[in-house]
Amino acid sequence: MGFLMRKAEQRKGAKAVKISPWRRFLMFFVNNFQQALGSLGELSRTPMASLMTIAVLGLSLTLPTTLYVVVKNAQAISAEWDSAAEINVFLRKELSPQEVQTFRERIRLMAEVDRVELIDKEAGLAEFQANSGFGSAIDYLQENPLPDVLIVVPTADFQSVERAQMLLTTLEQEREVTSASLDLKWLERLQALVRVVENSFAALGLLLCTAVVLIVGNTIRLAILNRRDEIMIMKLVGATDAYIQRPFLYTGFWYGVVGGIIAWLATTIIVIWIDASIVQFSSLYESDMSLQGLSLHDMLVVWLVAIGLGLIGSWIAVRRHVSAIEPK
Amino acid sequence: MIRFEQVSKTYPGGFQALNRVNFHVAAGELAFLTGHSGAGKSTLLRLVALMERPTLGRVLINGHDLNKISRRQVPYLRRDIGMIFQDHRLLMDKTVFDNVALPLYIEGYTQSEARKRVQAALDKVGLGGQERKYPIMLSGGEQQRVGIARAIVNKPPLLLADEPTGNLDPSLSLEIMNLFESFHQVGVSVLIATHDLALVARMRHRNLVLRNGAMIDDGLASGAYEPLDEESF
Repeated sequence: MGFLMRKAEQRKGAKAVKISPWRRFLMFFVNNFQQALGSLGELSRTPMASLMTIAVLGLSLTLPTTLYVVVKNAQAISAEWDSAAEINVFLRKELSPQEVQTFRERIRLMAEVDRVELIDKEAGLAEFQANSGFGSAIDYLQENPLPDVLIVVPTADFQSVERAQMLLTTLEQEREVTSASLDLKWLERLQALVRVVENSFAALGLLLCTAVVLIVGNTIRLAILNRRDEIMIMKLVGATDAYIQRPFLYTGFWYGVVGGIIAWLATTIIVIWIDASIVQFSSLYESDMSLQGLSLHDMLVVWLVAIGLGLIGSWIAVRRHVSAIEPK
Repeated sequence: MIRFEQVSKTYPGGFQALNRVNFHVAAGELAFLTGHSGAGKSTLLRLVALMERPTLGRVLINGHDLNKISRRQVPYLRRDIGMIFQDHRLLMDKTVFDNVALPLYIEGYTQSEARKRVQAALDKVGLGGQERKYPIMLSGGEQQRVGIARAIVNKPPLLLADEPTGNLDPSLSLEIMNLFESFHQVGVSVLIATHDLALVARMRHRNLVLRNGAMIDDGLASGAYEPLDEESF
């Protein structure tokens, strides 16, 4: 809307362009819709070039997405292992069987404890004798060197590493207990390893996302420069930067939309592929593990990320280059 | 309508295109801008359309100081100025209709709403019925008229033309000039830069003459209807 000449125009009686604010508001969306469709049409006119960029976007996102699926499954597995925590409580040797039973009952009634198993010294010795290979050598022992052992399994709420550790400390402070152990080291190591893998995958993902932004940005930059003359003419007849930018932003948007779908498909194919070998692998261990693919929520996130990257890439290009083109 | 006050324009590198130019073109007036190549005609028009900013001095349009127009406001100013170029600056991959409708699309018209105005503009320049052709299918003179139709389609109060007849033969040039004359008659201010002095002489309008960036004749002292001869350059 011209703001400089309205008075002059009215004075001359020329018909001014009359568009109400409501109309202008409505037309903004109609225009956006038209430009969105227009840029989609533009993509279909250069299918090969567009497809290349879209494929780069989609496939670049496939790697982080697949890694995410792997990490997700690893986390699920390690969570299962996590919950297998057991605490071994070694009791003082001078306790009478009666005292051991009382103590066991007391532990069993603790809120944190799910169940308690008693391995008394005789049973322990028998088991040791059977499994250790020392066999008859043990018969020479004057007395049973083994203490009574309670195997304490915490309730589900107390199976995490920190909680189980707390329970362990409580148990160690009991009068009847010499020591208690929780084999946490390997669990902590596993979790640390998973974290290392997670972090390196996240860094890799971030790197790929940056590459995607740059690639989209560069493609859009070329598109802008290709239409340099057209942009100049549009500026000459009064187009705002925003109006000129919109089709390019929509191009980035469509890159993201289609690139996201490509990432889904490629990830799904890869997951199915890996899954086949995992099923084979786990069948050797007589277990039926299989990979969890992308959930609906994951797919939505991947899609939004793809669209976001497309938009950011085109926005960077548009910011820099549309305003730089001035009519000559 | 257009007022220049002590306007100088020096390009980076030191070339002085305009030197302390003063003139005033009234609303509804038609004026020619003449001078040899490189005298500063194009620069002067570019200052009006805000494609350049003056180094010194003020350009006022309808009383508004262009120095105070921010970059964001420039597109809105340009919507009130119809611009015509020697090379017409048409979009070659768009139809005549879409070319002429471009300023209307930018202002938020739909295609169906723009139709009436586009048709009126094309009728005005004598190209009725050619809407669906592409510019490449038209002759040079017709392309120039498409450019004019685009410039007038949203009825701007000011028309600027930079060598609009530069590539045309004399009879076509006269036709184009008559078109500008007709816009002038309905109250549009028109400023035409040209080096076609014969044509200027025939048209009998005010003639602003530039030489080496200075305005040596603003067409008032010598009389608006006095034809200028070749010696004055």
